[in-house]
Amino acid sequence: MQSETMNTTFIKTNPEGKNYRPSRRTVEIVGHELLTQDIVRLTISDEYTAQQGQAGQFVNLYSKNPLQMSPRPFGISEIHGDKVSFIFAVVGRGTAEFRDMSVGDRIDILGPLGKPFDVSKTGRYLLVAGGLGIPPILHAAQKLSQRDDAQVTTMFGYRNEHFADSYVDQYCDDTRSIDNAQGNVIDLLNTWIQENDVKDLKSRAEDIHILTCGPEPMMKAVAAWACEHNIDTQLSLEERMGCGYGTCVVCITPTIHGNQKVCIEGPVFTREELGWK
Amino acid sequence: MFDATQEYTFTHGTVVAGVQWKSPIGTAAGTYNLDACSVYYNPAALGSVCTKGVSPVPWEGNPAPRTAETPAGTVNSVGLQNPGVDHYLEDDLPRLKAMGTTVISNVAGHSAEDFAYVVEKLAKTNVDMLEINVSCPNVKAGTSFAKDPVALASLVRQLRPLTDKPMIFKLSPNVSDIVPVAQAVVESGADAVSLINTFVGMRIDTRTGKPILANVTGGVSGPAIHPMAVGMVYKIRQAFHDFPIIAMGGTSSGEDALEFLYAGANAVEVGSAALVDPAAPVRIACELESLLDERPELSEALSVGKNWINRNE
Repeated sequence: MQSETMNTTFIKTNPEGKNYRPSRRTVEIVGHELLTQDIVRLTISDEYTAQQGQAGQFVNLYSKNPLQMSPRPFGISEIHGDKVSFIFAVVGRGTAEFRDMSVGDRIDILGPLGKPFDVSKTGRYLLVAGGLGIPPILHAAQKLSQRDDAQVTTMFGYRNEHFADSYVDQYCDDTRSIDNAQGNVIDLLNTWIQENDVKDLKSRAEDIHILTCGPEPMMKAVAAWACEHNIDTQLSLEERMGCGYGTCVVCITPTIHGNQKVCIEGPVFTREELGWK
Repeated sequence: MFDATQEYTFTHGTVVAGVQWKSPIGTAAGTYNLDACSVYYNPAALGSVCTKGVSPVPWEGNPAPRTAETPAGTVNSVGLQNPGVDHYLEDDLPRLKAMGTTVISNVAGHSAEDFAYVVEKLAKTNVDMLEINVSCPNVKAGTSFAKDPVALASLVRQLRPLTDKPMIFKLSPNVSDIVPVAQAVVESGADAVSLINTFVGMRIDTRTGKPILANVTGGVSGPAIHPMAVGMVYKIRQAFHDFPIIAMGGTSSGEDALEFLYAGANAVEVGSAALVDPAAPVRIACELESLLDERPELSEALSVGKNWINRNE
């Protein structure tokens, strides 16, 4: 998108005074690398997403094949200038198509979408992620690295290859990772707490915040651990999506407020909202 | 880039059961959510906005997963999750009307009593039209009326005295012959039919051998069903030259909408296309506007409440 177009278009408001957003649009792929055999890092150029994208938000990517209509939502992993990156695994025909694209190709997107992590609080953030839950947590690490009043420890769990460690190292001094052969992220959390004075921790629990994303069993274990230590926790969920922007009511998750839409009322929920103990 | 946020005004309108639409293009029920969609375009520009089905009380809908991809379409089983008619009357409807939108309220229910309850509430409002959803394949008794012309005629007669608003009945394609169903609606005092709702279908995860949808089956929509929808609109139009028809099913371009209009529809609603591009209804309305510029005979027929088949009658 031309910046000139954006400046004239997206300061406009709808009849209720809300800012209009750009709909589906075509952007250029400016970066494309294989992190492992089946994990891809793809970078697009899109000024709007780069300016608006917050940690925990995602972008819909669309296949060029008209037979594959559904959106492929990917969490933003990093933003540099007007470049927005995603990291994803090849799991089906849609993601295989994106793997086979090249720099200079064009791709349709919609976003940024979804409710972001709240990273406005001061204190210590424990960023706990597993597998393909790492990308949005990586973005949270990037955002938090720009603040002086927040300290960050990252704990990443991998199946095998530690594909994101080199990215997160730029944003954080205390990065820890583990793979399935070594253990899991709960081991990392337990190690971390042993290194800290638990009594002191309890008195300062309100200054500690967990952000987590990954497979549901992992997040449930993190939520249970956080509950035990009385630490506030935000969790980013994944669900099959039909639209990604809140209109089709397909991607629901049970919450204490009833079924809520993961795409617009999430993907980030608090432990309390989900009723996870 | 197509800019959906411009203030579009269309010159080729249509009239459906006496209600003026600014364009023959509207949104289809279940694909328009006010908060989600109104940040992409002004709904008042369209011919109409048909809101998601509202039931007497809030419904939680079906468990997830609720969607599965299928070639040129999707299979969905939402189960009409909605916050209930009272919330709709306090929030969505007044906001849409304040913007100047022509609004169709889609009415959901498990029984004739449910439909009657919601129709009575909507009758007292400034909504423009009511669409009675007798064809949802994903809720208990969702399609029982749409499969039984006798029961459907009885429902139409029961609801008719409750409101002076134009009442549209949304028909199911999951019947062996749709014409007798339409006939029941036409002859019992309704004002229009809309078609088609989704086809019953399912997808199976071949890695597990199990259904992808938690509800096992769902409704198939998208470009894959467009030819079947055109065929059903055409059949009903051949049987009833004058009865208002709103067509929907896989419209993703102005050309697709034009096909429906040549089959005899008075108006067209966009559904699945909006799920993959929020601004699709406005884009399609713009495309159809250009196509109608070149087709004055069709445009003239629509503007006076006629259709392509009865334009000279």
